[in-house]
Amino acid sequence: MISGGSRTLLLLLLFATAAVAGEPAGWDITRLMQDLAQVKVAKGRFVERKYLGILTAPLESAGTLTYVAPSRLEKHTLTPRDESLVLEGDRLTIESPQTKRRRTLVLQDYPVIWMFVESIRSTLAGDLTLLQRFYEITLEGEERKWRLVLKPIDPKMQELISEIRIGGSRSRIDSIEFFESGGDRSVMTITRDVP
Amino acid sequence: MTAAQRWCSAAWLVFVVASIAVVARTTFTTDISAFLPRSPTPEQRILVEQLREGVVSRLVLIGIEGGSPEALARASKQMAAELRKHETFVSVDNGDDAGSAGDREFLWRNRYLLSSAVTPERFSAPALRERLEENLRLLGSPAGTLVRRIVPSDPSGELLQILERFEGQARPATRDGVWFSRDNRRALLLAQTRAAGYDIDAQERSLALVRSAFAQAGAGDAKLLLSGPGVFSVNTRASIRHDAMRFSLIATALIAGLLLAIYRSPRLLGLGLLPIASGAVAGIAAVSLGFGAVHGITLGFGVTLIGECVDYAIYLFTQAAPGVAPQRALDRIWPTLRLGVLTSICGFSAMLFSGFSGLAQLGLFSITGLVVAVAVTRWVLPAWLPPRFTAPVVASIGPWVSAVVRRAPVLRYPLLLGVALVAVMLAAHKGPLWSGDLASLSPVSRADQMLDQQMRGDIGAPDVRFLVVIHAQEEETALQASEAIGETLRRASLAGLLDGYDSPADYFPSRQSQLARQKALPAAAELRANLGRALQGLPFRPQVFEPFFKDAAAAKRMPLIDRGSLQRTRFALRLDTLLVRRESGWVAMLPLRDVKDAAGVARDISAPTGARAVLLDLKHESDQLYRTYQAEALTYSLLGAAAIVLLLFATLRSPRRVFEVLAPLAAAVLVTTGALALSGYPLSIFHLVGLLLVVAVGSNYSLFFDRQAPSSGDRERTMVSLLFANATSVIGFGLLAFSKVPVLHDIGMTVATGTILTLAFSAILGRRDGLPARA
Repeated sequence: MISGGSRTLLLLLLFATAAVAGEPAGWDITRLMQDLAQVKVAKGRFVERKYLGILTAPLESAGTLTYVAPSRLEKHTLTPRDESLVLEGDRLTIESPQTKRRRTLVLQDYPVIWMFVESIRSTLAGDLTLLQRFYEITLEGEERKWRLVLKPIDPKMQELISEIRIGGSRSRIDSIEFFESGGDRSVMTITRDVP
Repeated sequence: MTAAQRWCSAAWLVFVVASIAVVARTTFTTDISAFLPRSPTPEQRILVEQLREGVVSRLVLIGIEGGSPEALARASKQMAAELRKHETFVSVDNGDDAGSAGDREFLWRNRYLLSSAVTPERFSAPALRERLEENLRLLGSPAGTLVRRIVPSDPSGELLQILERFEGQARPATRDGVWFSRDNRRALLLAQTRAAGYDIDAQERSLALVRSAFAQAGAGDAKLLLSGPGVFSVNTRASIRHDAMRFSLIATALIAGLLLAIYRSPRLLGLGLLPIASGAVAGIAAVSLGFGAVHGITLGFGVTLIGECVDYAIYLFTQAAPGVAPQRALDRIWPTLRLGVLTSICGFSAMLFSGFSGLAQLGLFSITGLVVAVAVTRWVLPAWLPPRFTAPVVASIGPWVSAVVRRAPVLRYPLLLGVALVAVMLAAHKGPLWSGDLASLSPVSRADQMLDQQMRGDIGAPDVRFLVVIHAQEEETALQASEAIGETLRRASLAGLLDGYDSPADYFPSRQSQLARQKALPAAAELRANLGRALQGLPFRPQVFEPFFKDAAAAKRMPLIDRGSLQRTRFALRLDTLLVRRESGWVAMLPLRDVKDAAGVARDISAPTGARAVLLDLKHESDQLYRTYQAEALTYSLLGAAAIVLLLFATLRSPRRVFEVLAPLAAAVLVTTGALALSGYPLSIFHLVGLLLVVAVGSNYSLFFDRQAPSSGDRERTMVSLLFANATSVIGFGLLAFSKVPVLHDIGMTVATGTILTLAFSAILGRRDGLPARA
């Protein structure tokens, strides 16, 4: 038996939900994440440049990046040497055909690496909850050209990374920048693969 | 009471008081080494030492489960902080940074002394060039972020070199900064006690600290799980004490109830318990005097004596004919009783000569107990019995028992057929009838063994099976040999014979190697020149390598690593396990991981001069140990059986009568073995001891069946006394079958089954007539 007061509250809640659903899209982080979550498969080419203080010139690498919802992310570096990094569920496998080495890590065992890879995967998956567990998030720009700024919450992560910037347009990511605490940074630009 | 009887009673009193005095000063032990041979091989000695006092014996595995992972992690951190305050523990690890910071600092500071790659060539321009190019590749890889911080101080990559050595070591999973099981349900800690594993009192105090730290951590409904050798010894001692105490009390109460029901006299009841009590006290005192200490298992065995010793009193009380002085009845049955005791002694004396002090203790305890119990029955009890008494129950159930016994032989042929079937079944038994595993001797319950295995797996402390053991006079020689053999093992692992190995020299290289590595580092000017040439054409900024020049120069002059340098690191614990001092010198141990070809590894191993090295297969050694033990127990049991046969021939002087006494025993032993084999799990030595007891107890039954009774009333009383005696044995041993301690359970099960069968078979195979067959 529902008392009078509760009934009013329940009706109001139903009304409020209906109102939100019926409203024309106000673009915000929730909406962006919803859009990103719609993408089930994404494939692109990447070029990554690392600007390191100990080097006189940036290190450049290139390859392909593949995402399959909900939890698989593959970074396949082709130059300067073949190396692949496959993230599947809670496992990260690093494989290098040249040295014939293969290592699998369970992410929970390496929290820093976990936080690191989750910045990209959770964004691709539109998993705001997980992203917020590790980072303080600010959204800049608009739907056509947006930028997410992630600042690590964990002190150990802060020692390594000061900021991660992910840029994109609508439901597509086109750049990822890592700013390391020591002043080094890396920039990855992603172009859509034309099949 | 005659003067002789008074003397007997006085002598008995003095004896009992003296025995109690000895028992009061006895130390009780529960460590498994009592069940290991007295003259072991050097390999077995290492095994036994490891079990008794090795670092492995000092580990306490702690689990916290039943709560949210966050709550469990909090509790783990609080417990670790609390336990680290106590001197009782050498180390407490839960995966938090408290330990690993020291490790990192040690490895980093001493990298040039620790890395086996440090040779003069390592710092030549071409070699440095190669390393720099590799660094460049690493900087571009996912590891770049971490490598970038190391390169300026360590361009030759010594830290990576060292870390790669440790890579194969299993690590527990981590969550919220502390160790967890893979399924995140259990937080894990690993503590090492200062006291050795065999020091049960100290272990008990350590565990009390762990429990109170857990209580303080306020983990709500969470449950504390403890495992490890120390935990086992404490629990075993407690459960042996508990079970032995509880079952002795219950058995005593039940048997007392039975005696009271039969004889309706508290006085007779008290007298009936007298032989048992005297026998048990004397048995413990004899073991204490003979061995210096009494093992808990021997003590637990005490309860089994109740079942047998009370028989003597029952024979005496029940077989007293109405209206005749008990002394007369005793005189009449004494030859049979004496022969029964002698038979039992023959059976047990086999164990007395065993090379395993545990078995020898059981033998001495049983023999002493039986002799004292029968002596008390023979010379002390009659003086205290009422001159004329009779048990009314005997008269009422006597005819019924007689009727059953008279008809029993009908079953003769079905029984023979059944025995033949069992024999065929045993002969055709698939799989091992006898357990070949030392663990089956362990007094630890199977559930606890499972939990231990699970926690070990989670914490990454799997049981080591293969171990290279190096003996040397000096610590330095042992370390040098470890390095030389380490090199052999490295090559063997490249060839795929094994996965990897752990060596004390990884944490504590020999002085010789450390000095050689210091010497291998070039002088400052030369190093600068070499690196300058190596850098040509590479995108590194030359000025970032100043820390490298500084560290290399410092490493050339730094004091060498000694045991003290390892303090505050978790490697100290590791080193204490792997490099141990013995009276005869030093022993270094190199545990091997995932050995695929043991024979191949063994072939390659050879120690440099001044040291000896062997590849030890711990599983093989412990199985070997167990098989020796088992073979010995079996041999002595057979010798005992042979002695019994000889004794019977000597006394009965008739092959037919010997056969009649032995047939029911042999049939009972065979059928009991068959029943145990059918029940599924392999038979242990304790079952064998149980079978020996079946023969010891059961021989009394078949001897009494064989005895020529002077009258049918007399025979009827004999049968009733056997029924009562069997009932008490079944109560005493049957109760043990409920114990969770495997040894007590196994013996109880075997003897309870075996004695019932012996009695039944004696009736079936006994003489057809109730009256004397021969004059």
